[in-house]
Amino acid sequence: MHEELNIIVTGVREHCPEISTRAEFESFKATISGPNGSLTKVMKGMGKVAKEDKPAMGKLINDTKAAVITEFDAVLERLERADLASKIGPPIDPTLPVPDCKRGTLHPISQVREEMVDLFRRIGFSVAEATELETEHYCFDALNIPSDHPARDMQDSYYLPDQLTVSNVSKHSDEKYLLRTHTSTVQIRTMLKEKPPIRIVAPGRCFRRDTPDATHSANFHQIEGLYINKGVTLLDLKATLDYFVKSIFGPKAKTRLRPSFFPFTEPSFEMDFFSPDLGKLSNKWLEIMGCGMVDPEVFKSVGIDPEVYTGYAFGMGIERIAMILQGVDDIRYYYQNDLRFLKQFA
Amino acid sequence: MKISYNWLKKYIDLDPVEHSPELLAEVLPLLGFDVEEYEKSGPPQLENVVVGQVLEYIQHPDADRLRCCKVSTGNEGEFHDIVCGAKNFEQGDKVLVALPGAVLPGDFKIKAAQLRGQPSAGMLCSAKELLIGQDHDGIMVLDPQTDLGLSLNELFVEADTVFNLEITPNRVDVLSHIGVARELSAKFGLPVKYPKVLASAEYCSSANPLISSVQVDVPKICPAYSAICIKGVKVGPSPTWLKDVIEGVGLRSINNVVDVTNFVLHETCQPLHAFDAAKIKGGKLVVRMAREGEKINTLDAVERTLSAEMALIADAERPLALAGLMGSLDSEVDYNTTDLVLEGAYFTPSSIRLTSRKLGLSSDSSYRFERGVDPQGVVPALFRAIDLILEVAGGVVDGDMIQVGSMPNSEVEVMLQPERVRSFIGFDVSDQEIQSVLESLGLRVCIQEQAGSTVCWAVSIPSYREDLKRDVDLIEEFIRIYGTDKIPESEVAACGISLNDHRIYTVNESLANYFTGQDFNEAFLYSLRDPEETEFFFGPSSHEVLALKNPLQSDQSHLRPSLVPGLLDVLQLNTARATGATRFFERGHVYREVNAEMVELHSVAFVIVADQVGRTWRRREVADFYTAKNICGEALEIAGTSANKLIFNPIAKSSLWQVGHAAEAGDFMKMGFEVTCGLLNFSVLKERWDLSTPIIAGSILMTPKFFERAVKRSRHSSISNQPASFKDLALIVDHSVFAGDVEKKIASFAKKTVKGFDCEDVHVFDIYYGEGLPDGKKSIALSMSFRASDRTLKDKEVSIAFDAIQKLITEKTDYQIRK
Repeated sequence: MHEELNIIVTGVREHCPEISTRAEFESFKATISGPNGSLTKVMKGMGKVAKEDKPAMGKLINDTKAAVITEFDAVLERLERADLASKIGPPIDPTLPVPDCKRGTLHPISQVREEMVDLFRRIGFSVAEATELETEHYCFDALNIPSDHPARDMQDSYYLPDQLTVSNVSKHSDEKYLLRTHTSTVQIRTMLKEKPPIRIVAPGRCFRRDTPDATHSANFHQIEGLYINKGVTLLDLKATLDYFVKSIFGPKAKTRLRPSFFPFTEPSFEMDFFSPDLGKLSNKWLEIMGCGMVDPEVFKSVGIDPEVYTGYAFGMGIERIAMILQGVDDIRYYYQNDLRFLKQFA
Repeated sequence: MKISYNWLKKYIDLDPVEHSPELLAEVLPLLGFDVEEYEKSGPPQLENVVVGQVLEYIQHPDADRLRCCKVSTGNEGEFHDIVCGAKNFEQGDKVLVALPGAVLPGDFKIKAAQLRGQPSAGMLCSAKELLIGQDHDGIMVLDPQTDLGLSLNELFVEADTVFNLEITPNRVDVLSHIGVARELSAKFGLPVKYPKVLASAEYCSSANPLISSVQVDVPKICPAYSAICIKGVKVGPSPTWLKDVIEGVGLRSINNVVDVTNFVLHETCQPLHAFDAAKIKGGKLVVRMAREGEKINTLDAVERTLSAEMALIADAERPLALAGLMGSLDSEVDYNTTDLVLEGAYFTPSSIRLTSRKLGLSSDSSYRFERGVDPQGVVPALFRAIDLILEVAGGVVDGDMIQVGSMPNSEVEVMLQPERVRSFIGFDVSDQEIQSVLESLGLRVCIQEQAGSTVCWAVSIPSYREDLKRDVDLIEEFIRIYGTDKIPESEVAACGISLNDHRIYTVNESLANYFTGQDFNEAFLYSLRDPEETEFFFGPSSHEVLALKNPLQSDQSHLRPSLVPGLLDVLQLNTARATGATRFFERGHVYREVNAEMVELHSVAFVIVADQVGRTWRRREVADFYTAKNICGEALEIAGTSANKLIFNPIAKSSLWQVGHAAEAGDFMKMGFEVTCGLLNFSVLKERWDLSTPIIAGSILMTPKFFERAVKRSRHSSISNQPASFKDLALIVDHSVFAGDVEKKIASFAKKTVKGFDCEDVHVFDIYYGEGLPDGKKSIALSMSFRASDRTLKDKEVSIAFDAIQKLITEKTDYQIRK
């Protein structure tokens, strides 16, 4: 019996290293510890062993069992390791480039627009939207731009054919449709829809009939701002725009309000700013936006009482600000979308 | 508009230091008159530089290159010893001498000194040293006729600075030197020196008038017309002073009479016109409308054909001038002219604007008339011109001034409460400060005491300030002159506002985050597209409806109906430049034709180069229709609509999409949105964009209304803790049958048959074609999951339900259950 156990252990020790699959292991294990396995048979023979020999034999069998289990566990561990290794493949090369999707870039104009909008949101402005197709009323009349104003010339705006209807853009009476020339239209649409206090910014695309060059584009983008409430003052306008300019161009930027003229504001100003940190554009006054206090005529056109409410409005070109911030000297780069250009702003 | 510093000085005492041209260039923009540029001309003014004559010279005893000169500057018996290094002069030459005390440009002070032992009290100057010219080869030798002792400042025209000002359309009064002087007077507190105009009566004689009358047929367009006749003028070149000022502001000097009218225009902003009286036929002037097709040869030598809405000045036979715009060659004042009729008139701005625009003709006169000149200034300007014509061309005034109509009275009073100024500007200023600013502008403030209430002022506005009509206009004047730089800095007074951000904006923000997160780069494209492309992809009715009335460029004549073609332009450019770009998206507005009307829509679209692996070390999955379908679904979820029940239908016919590999869902007219996605048409990609690799694209259209829907708040419903049971089912169906339809049908059968618990999901998990299946068939494998809310399901009850479902399939469909 002793001999038999030795043979089993030796056999197991010899065979185990050759096992390379789980199936092989299971079938080999069956030949040892299965119902008809060699070890099982020996254990069944225990009944025939003399009583005084039983303790010694029992110990011998247990030792053998332990030895076999140790061998089997080693095989299992080896097989699991091999299995895992085949699952995870060869070691990585950490220097290889990632083959997967990365992040795309937001267009540089979008980036600047978001930055601008977020600055205004932070001080209580909410974002308003309106259509790009508009009518002369909302683009001009309601903004106190007289019918023979040069800006209304066919030369300067894109019009739609006279008989055409735009089913989702409302007309005031039977005026003509055109592509909005500024985002000030959103002021009018918002004032007609909401009651004061109103504090909005309206970013959007505008169109002017300009021959494209380094600073002109058939379409461009503006941000319009409007705040109407009781007791809104010129001081508030200056504070808001100073905050905006210093936030976007840095605390060293200086501003000035240069008196100007717009039919929809009185007084009207151009805001200039001056910064020491703008490369080629440093240390000179750069015009960045038009602004002013909402003209009483505009209030009248939307049914707000100018004796009760005052307000300020401002509007600026997003491309203009983007070009200054990003050092782009030709607006057309923004509309080519060369990936190498876009990635510079990633 | 060009304004000369020297000319300005005729009307205001500008101090060359305190009010230097450089300072003006800083002050004018802050008064609202932006300086586009300013240019200095002429040599600088220098003291102690005079014309001298070299009486004799000798070689310097100790220096080969120097001469010792004796120079006279005109005083008998007095001469200056000057050592000079130049050799380009002879005895007797007249030269410019800088005497001790002179300071030449570059802060070069001239002093009496010794040069190599010889005394030298001054310097003979080169043109360059005096900034007169570039010549530095020798000293400047003058014309022998030049007067000895004349100072440099007298010899050369005074240096000038000319500002090119941008004047806003509301400030016609500033389109003149007096106008600018008035503004500076308000800013600097200096008086305006108006030119003296002689009394008109002195001129009037009662001889034979040159014209008998003026007849105004169109008083609406010409409310007032004045004419004065001058006999016996001598037309010729203008005197130097006149020629210099005229040319100084960029005008061409014509002759003394025409130059005077131009001078007065730039002095007072009143356009005047001089006719040659001899050329007026029939002895009278008529202001009338042109006849349709009537012709006039304007002074710029262009024959212009007029229409009936244009006003003109005519004689008995023919037009003599386009009212307010330009005279004709037929009545031009030239060197043969001896008698003049001088016109001073007021024309209504809109009529001049119309004529100017129709003819594409603008002049210094029309530019001012169409902005509205000061009606009260017309006659004074006429007298000022007469003064000057008599001065430079001689002649006598003949007859009384003929006046037709009356000038509109434009002097008004505006009520202003100083308290309103303070509450409007938001900071404290005193009544006195406000009042003195207004008065500095020539406004008269009359304080009206109101019993116990706020102080109110009646402010009289001079006729030349027609732009001041309301109290806000006066507030603007106050802040303009007071100085915007004195508005205090303050904190932003932010408070909560009830409005939400518009959903269009917030959805677009989230869309951008989603797309950039998927490796898409955002592109910005033009909204205007090519007409042929519009017709090719969207048909003739879109081509018609999306056309602009007045395109500027023929290839940008139509509003874009889709973002996809633009994105293909981007892929084309990037492919040509080999930038390696494979994914782009754009957000923007597009336009569609619906029943011959236009609708404006919001859109987001993307393109993907399908096989973007190219040359990467490890291949990832190639994009296909399902990639696009997934992206569109995600985008729709972001936009706030549930995409999982959306039914996609294959596109049957399209020039943009590849039929069989693209599908669409939704309907923007009925549902507010619409999606199209899949593979783009191979042949069109190749033909139009030179792209020969498969491109996957997707496009979503949304109506503005779509964003206004109330967003549903989600509600909780209880979820079961019990385990689920699964059953799989394989069906053999015709190739043409859509998996989605099968899925839906089985789900409906399950709903009918399963009682007491739920079939919570039916989904396709495998599609199989090929071996083992008949031709034209495919196998669809579905997984079904069942669950009860209150107990663990028994195998038996699930099997009963599953059998019932299969029974229905056999009875109700021609799907074959694969055993």
